[in-house]
Amino acid sequence: MSREVVVIGCGMTKFGRHDDKSLMDLLVEASIKALDDTGIENIKIDSVYVATMLAGELTHQTAIASALADQLGLLPAGAQRIENGPASGGSAVINGYQAIASGVCDAVLVTGGEKMRHVPGDKITDLISTMTHPIAEYIHGVTLPSLAAMFTRLYMTHYGVTREHLARIAIKNHENALRNPYAHIHQRITLEGIYKGPEAEVNNPVISDPLRLYDSCPVTDGAASVVLCSAEEAKKLGISKPMVKIAGVGNATDTLALSERKNPLVLEAVKLASQKAFKMAGLKPQDIDLAELHDAFEILELAESEDAGFFEKGTAHKAVEEGVTLLSGSFPINPSGGLKARGHPVGATGVAQVVELTWQLRGEAGERQVKNAKRGFCCNFGGFGNNVTAIILERV
Amino acid sequence: MSEKQLTAFKCIRCGKINYPKRPICLNCRGRDFTEVKISGEGKLLTYTHLYAIPEGVEQLPLTLGLIEFEEGIRVIGQIEDQNVKIGDKLVPVWGFLRKKDGKEIYGFKFKLASE
Repeated sequence: MSREVVVIGCGMTKFGRHDDKSLMDLLVEASIKALDDTGIENIKIDSVYVATMLAGELTHQTAIASALADQLGLLPAGAQRIENGPASGGSAVINGYQAIASGVCDAVLVTGGEKMRHVPGDKITDLISTMTHPIAEYIHGVTLPSLAAMFTRLYMTHYGVTREHLARIAIKNHENALRNPYAHIHQRITLEGIYKGPEAEVNNPVISDPLRLYDSCPVTDGAASVVLCSAEEAKKLGISKPMVKIAGVGNATDTLALSERKNPLVLEAVKLASQKAFKMAGLKPQDIDLAELHDAFEILELAESEDAGFFEKGTAHKAVEEGVTLLSGSFPINPSGGLKARGHPVGATGVAQVVELTWQLRGEAGERQVKNAKRGFCCNFGGFGNNVTAIILERV
Repeated sequence: MSEKQLTAFKCIRCGKINYPKRPICLNCRGRDFTEVKISGEGKLLTYTHLYAIPEGVEQLPLTLGLIEFEEGIRVIGQIEDQNVKIGDKLVPVWGFLRKKDGKEIYGFKFKLASE
């Protein structure tokens, strides 16, 4: 019988460009905020999980989890780094969850972070491309944006998704980020400016057609952190904030090469990870009040919202037309601004999604608060969908 | 130069044709394969012209496509012709792909099949 796990602390750095801080500085800052947020002085942490994809490659620091445990004075807590591509954050949260649910640990710290803005664009694009299939993709010059572009063209051809739909998702996420003080990009964008107007071609250049600049997320520095605890231990500690539990988790893989998928339009790992999480939670997609999805590219917000079960396949763009996924809509997606505007410090993203959901479910999300939010869903997407985590949080 | 041919790998146990080469069949976990030469034309399912090229790639824009062959396999590769559309017929050609760690890498890419 597994134990109930609750989120008792969360925190994050401002996402953006941090030239004056090291990755360790960012991890420490987010972790201290999460530890302080528990309200318990010197809370005992049994294990530290650090999610980062490129710490060694970009910041010349390896074995970074041991270093973080040391810097935070959490010795002799266990410590491990989780590298799982862009799904590192979600994976680290699930690892922490498992440690507590199984009874091995009572409380763990999960911190994700990345520092990547100091590296030239073509170099970062190449490093991120190293997670593609080495023979079937990488050597051909395939990058994540190029896979997303080919996927977008398929979606446009099969389902009638247009550039305007994608632009509307970007506009929504930028709008939401204006209400999120932690977001990387605080800039209002308009349909005129990025799609319709005479300057749109200049403002919104092609990255990999049909994908444009505003169809993809920025390169961001930042860190996010949560403290997870068993429900019984949280009760003993006397946590004063509203309790948020991890109701369900799921993780699934798919073929490394996009070309080997049975149907290249379906994100099978999103489907399976979500189904596992819903089954564990005993909930259905209709029971969820808001979602944080992995919109590294805006097409992914559409496709994930379908494959996770919130909309029928090929229809999410209709929901975008109707404003369903706006902050004011009946099912807000990415109230934080998503990867598009909160930013995407790769290892931090999956943890930041859990932080945002926790704030929303506690009623602490300020101007972007989704009313009466009781249950939230998040999806962290690795590779081009070859490793996906889904997590459901519920206010107790 | 010896005649190079695009090659897929048929699982002896279940018959699934795998591409690229795998140690274990994706369908049945069989471990023995026979080579299947892919000789015909492929059909372009989707494509992109990539402007944000990674370090090591020299062609700008780089045209990439997902191509399906009669044998049931799909391949992602570079396309020499820029003016392509979904449904176009393509054939494999051997050539320079990119540099990696300073070394030149060669492999199959694609060009429009002649009418």
